[in-house]
Amino acid sequence: MSGRVLRFPHKAVSSAEAQSAALRVLATPIADRARLAIHLALDEPETLLAVCGRLRDQLESSPASVRDDADFLYRFIEKPKRAIGLFDERDYFLGETALIGGTACRILFRRDDARRWFDRAEAAFRHTLNAVAEWSRVAYQRLALRLEEHQLDEVLELAPSLVASFEKLEMHKDALKCRFLEAVALKEGDRLSEAGDLFRRICQDAETVGSDKLLAIASYNLLQIHGFLGQAEEAMVEAARALPILRRLNNRVGIAKLHWGLAYLLRSQGRLAESLDAFRAAQTEFSEIGMRADVAAVHLVLADVLLELGQDSQATLEVLAALPVIEEEKMVPEGMAAFSLLRESVRQQRINRQALRDLHGYFEEIQS
Amino acid sequence: MNTILSKRVDEVDSVFKRTLPMVHSSLISAYRLSEVEATEAERDLEVWFHRLSRRGSGAQVPPKSLRVSLLAAACQYGRSFQIWRLRGSPSRDKSLNDVLSREPQEMASDLAHHFAEDS
Repeated sequence: MSGRVLRFPHKAVSSAEAQSAALRVLATPIADRARLAIHLALDEPETLLAVCGRLRDQLESSPASVRDDADFLYRFIEKPKRAIGLFDERDYFLGETALIGGTACRILFRRDDARRWFDRAEAAFRHTLNAVAEWSRVAYQRLALRLEEHQLDEVLELAPSLVASFEKLEMHKDALKCRFLEAVALKEGDRLSEAGDLFRRICQDAETVGSDKLLAIASYNLLQIHGFLGQAEEAMVEAARALPILRRLNNRVGIAKLHWGLAYLLRSQGRLAESLDAFRAAQTEFSEIGMRADVAAVHLVLADVLLELGQDSQATLEVLAALPVIEEEKMVPEGMAAFSLLRESVRQQRINRQALRDLHGYFEEIQS
Repeated sequence: MNTILSKRVDEVDSVFKRTLPMVHSSLISAYRLSEVEATEAERDLEVWFHRLSRRGSGAQVPPKSLRVSLLAAACQYGRSFQIWRLRGSPSRDKSLNDVLSREPQEMASDLAHHFAEDS
């Protein structure tokens, strides 16, 4: 047998001081943080807990900066191997920063990076004392990634088991989030009535557990379903319910998607000029939070609407803005044929409408 | 500190205090720590347990659900301490060897089971 005693340094930062310590850390440029680590109390578990909490809160509003912050923290904790906190705390913080980084990458469309971060999170959480709960959170993120990759059957198969795990662990909010993925998968699979029922139950439960965030996102999805079913009035009611909550939460991803949903609804009703405004509002939100892939996707949809309005030269400009980003970010490996056709047609100054629709149709599926 | 947060801290505190006698007796009786060593361990366990309750997963569950993790941490502490003290050699105390041969999580689950029966 071999073993060692874990030594436990006394904490230098109290939980009361931790929030201001976290603010100091995040206000310090990343390049300076390692040098100022002692001054910033960066290896103190209270500081790290508060920083992780802030990063989780900012995932939907600034995913790009959260990814960079999480990346820095993970590397800082990882090497050189630092004695952080008590018992399993170093492993927990490694896992948590990896999970946050992976979630940010998922939101930013960086799927391979996201998977790599989730692998790191699982590896680190393996050494924690509450590993099942932490693994379940990683499993949720992996399921969300599958949904974004349109693996609907897998999501519908795996979600109930994960919901059961969360319920067993008494993590009711996470269970609700998981049912949310199930509802989106139903929606994506055109099982709109089942999806609508599930979203309505999620709205009720979100109100019960006091989760404004889930309530707003479920409302947004109900809006979309009403939109698909041509139920404009009901859709507007859901938008009116969701928007103020999203604004209060500063959930800019949610706000952008809400504009996106409204834009589609307006478009389906033939209100093209209004839909252009709504698409542009969505694009502005995506752009301000660094979601380049989504900005490119909106460019394509805008091009389609502009073609419908007979504004071909404006449409060409929109496509030209989108193509380099799509290529650079390797966004649509499955849609490469449509991408090539579209690029060629733009070169010939006559947009291939079918290729454009194939490409943004693919985006619509993966965005919702 | 807002009221909800303060209530949560009180709940965590209450769970810790209710579990402490079992933690103490495990450290003393099962892992053969001295009173002083056990008290020192319990101080660290209290700090750690409060932070556990504020983690990404811990923050949303009722504190009593984290009891088994507290017991696992206590068992891990006791086990690591004794293995270090024995420098890898077996003890002359057979029951201590039996305890050290078990995984802390397994020990903790048994203790939590007894706790549920006692409550």
